[in-house]
Amino acid sequence: MDVRSQTALVFHLDKCIGCHTCSIACKNIWTDRKGTEYMWWNNVETKPGTGYPTKWEDQEHYKGGWELHDGKLRLKSTGRGRIIPNIFHNPSMPAMDDYYEPWTYKYDELFNAPEGDDQPTARPVSMVTGEPIDIEAGPNWDDDLGGSPVYAENDPNLDELTPELRQQMFEIERMAFFYLPRICNHCLNPSCVASCPSGALYKRGEDGVVLLNQERCRAWRSCVSACPYKKTYYNWSTGKSEKCILCFPRLESGQAPACFHSCVGRIRYLGNVLYDADKLVECASRPDLELVDAQREMILDPHDPAVVEAAKANGVPDSIIESAQLSPVYRFVKEWKLALPLHVEFRTFPMLFYVPPLMPVIANKDAGPVRNETEDLFSDIERARVPIRYLARLFAAGNEGKVRAALRKQYAVRLWRRHVTVGDVDEETARRALTEAECSPEEADAIYRLTALASMDERCVVPPAQREMAVEVLDDPLSFKQSTGFGFRAAPARGQ
Amino acid sequence: MRQPTLGGSPWLAALLAAIATTLLAAPASAQLPVPSEEAYASFELNCKSCHTIGGGKLTGPDLKGVLERRSREWLVEFILHPKAVIDSGDAYAQEMFREARGVYMPDPVGMTPEMAGKLLDVVAVESSLEKSRFAGLQLSDRPLTEADVARGRRLFRGEESFASGAPACFSCHTLAGAGGFGGGTLGPDLTAVSARLEGRKGLAAWLSAPPSAVMAPVYRVAPLDGEEVLALTAFLEDTAASGAEVAEDGSLAFLLSGLGLAALVLVLLDVVWRGRYVATRAPLVRKRLVARRALEARS
Repeated sequence: MDVRSQTALVFHLDKCIGCHTCSIACKNIWTDRKGTEYMWWNNVETKPGTGYPTKWEDQEHYKGGWELHDGKLRLKSTGRGRIIPNIFHNPSMPAMDDYYEPWTYKYDELFNAPEGDDQPTARPVSMVTGEPIDIEAGPNWDDDLGGSPVYAENDPNLDELTPELRQQMFEIERMAFFYLPRICNHCLNPSCVASCPSGALYKRGEDGVVLLNQERCRAWRSCVSACPYKKTYYNWSTGKSEKCILCFPRLESGQAPACFHSCVGRIRYLGNVLYDADKLVECASRPDLELVDAQREMILDPHDPAVVEAAKANGVPDSIIESAQLSPVYRFVKEWKLALPLHVEFRTFPMLFYVPPLMPVIANKDAGPVRNETEDLFSDIERARVPIRYLARLFAAGNEGKVRAALRKQYAVRLWRRHVTVGDVDEETARRALTEAECSPEEADAIYRLTALASMDERCVVPPAQREMAVEVLDDPLSFKQSTGFGFRAAPARGQ
Repeated sequence: MRQPTLGGSPWLAALLAAIATTLLAAPASAQLPVPSEEAYASFELNCKSCHTIGGGKLTGPDLKGVLERRSREWLVEFILHPKAVIDSGDAYAQEMFREARGVYMPDPVGMTPEMAGKLLDVVAVESSLEKSRFAGLQLSDRPLTEADVARGRRLFRGEESFASGAPACFSCHTLAGAGGFGGGTLGPDLTAVSARLEGRKGLAAWLSAPPSAVMAPVYRVAPLDGEEVLALTAFLEDTAASGAEVAEDGSLAFLLSGLGLAALVLVLLDVVWRGRYVATRAPLVRKRLVARRALEARS
């Protein structure tokens, strides 16, 4: 058993209101430099939709992630046979139009335009060329199903739905959508790291954050095509690739990353989990339908004495183990089985998990005004406006049972809390729902608490950074002690 | 241990050998001076490609007995400055010039009056011999056959190599009926060369020792043999007999073939890289626009 710690994340989609505050917080801190204007390390997509970059989930097109070949894991984007004839031109590289051409406006024209009959306008100009542009796309161009005949209907996750189900999803008055905020998943089996010919990408030992060494990057951009989530980006100004760093300077000082900190809906949870790295290859090679379970299997119970002992033997500090025992992520993913990985079939084992959203049920407008088919909007998860099969494609590699269980448990918790606090649901109904969802009243209360009431410190249990130990390996911290304090910003000029 | 002997010095040995040779050779041809090896080498280098001694006319005249035709002074002057003498209007030089079909004898590089004298000695000695070593290539007078024409064609097109390894005519010349895209365009068109060089004799002379500035250095070190010259002569005469003036212009065919080949390569690249990236978002928008226009057209 090779026990390691990984900082893992949960996004509770039932709470996301799609406000993009996370994206803005991230953009203002990290990607407002030249060459990074088009990057959104954090972005929020509307589902169904093609996302950012367009159709990033279609790996037949972008060749991201891993595939099983004769039972062995292999990168889809690179292999000797594929890389050598394409060494000077990677054929699976997204182009600027697939992200979007970033733009700004000539605001000074608003103020300096000569007086005339018309209102002055601020012309849009490209932030790449500086020339006026005709804006054709943006990072959330299909927000709230905008332009859905172009974007939402081409969502790759709709491929397996029957024509009736597809049509039903886009019928007026029946439409439904939800938001999918995305950041780098800091995967357990990152294909970006595996693909880098320069060895610039690495997974940090102490917390599993995937980072990109700007000094070693040689602009091969293999990571851009290899990452199935398209979360590494090429900076055209510096000629290096960049990616989400999970705000590690904030993590190391005990703060949640900026997108977590700023989240209005409080949908984001952070905490470390202990996992068994020895199982990685075997688990990542399982058939698609078993992958959700395989990933859960790798995550270990931090309360299990055997695990704690193995972790200590592997050099995991006590404080990290204690932090893992408080981790909200462990509870959502492993204990409650509410949170599911996004597109686990890419076999990178993303460590960002999503609690699937409960959707309103199908409405009927055949007889006069629109009316819902049932009294209770969320009563029947099988009749939800977004089909389970669609959610299963997103969050469980097609395994509908995993999604159904997560939704059923959320529904049962609602009924239970409705019974406890409002009283319009009788106890028998509530208890029956809990039993069906394999959930105890205590567990339901705990889920309710962490979902609705939890404080910042409960939602984000930032594992204590062990940087001082890492620094001691390289330097003697005491040698700096005597060199700090008063000094001169500029050397004094004397004797002139 | 080395003994310092007389024979140990190569320079001294060579000097003694030269003296001995001179003394021994003197009684054999009392009137004629004996030319040095240096003079022979110079003749090989400068004269042989256009002149024979007793072998008949090549580009330049046969030099056998030239000393009986012109004075030594005239000849030395001509060797040093051939173009100047021809252009001065000297009657004999003019006649020679016409016979050479307007090819000037090139000014020999680094020629001195002494060396010119020695060259004339070589000519004198060799003229007196029954068969000079500079009699040149002896071509047979046999009638030229169809087989010669066919072989000449193969030699011209490089399908059969010259025995000496010399480059094929085709690489620089073209002619009517050369086939393919025609030959090279560096040298002149050879369709009517037989008429220009006045038939078999002129052709054979040229081919035996091509005098032009470009060909001379190449074919001097790799000359053609007699049978090859005959075959080429037969082929060139046969071509001239066909009545064509110049080779067909193959440049359009060449251009079209080039374009066709380029298109083929592009198609091949397209097939090899058929899985390559093509735009993602733009086609989705385009597809939708087409569908909408079709819908509008119907209503």
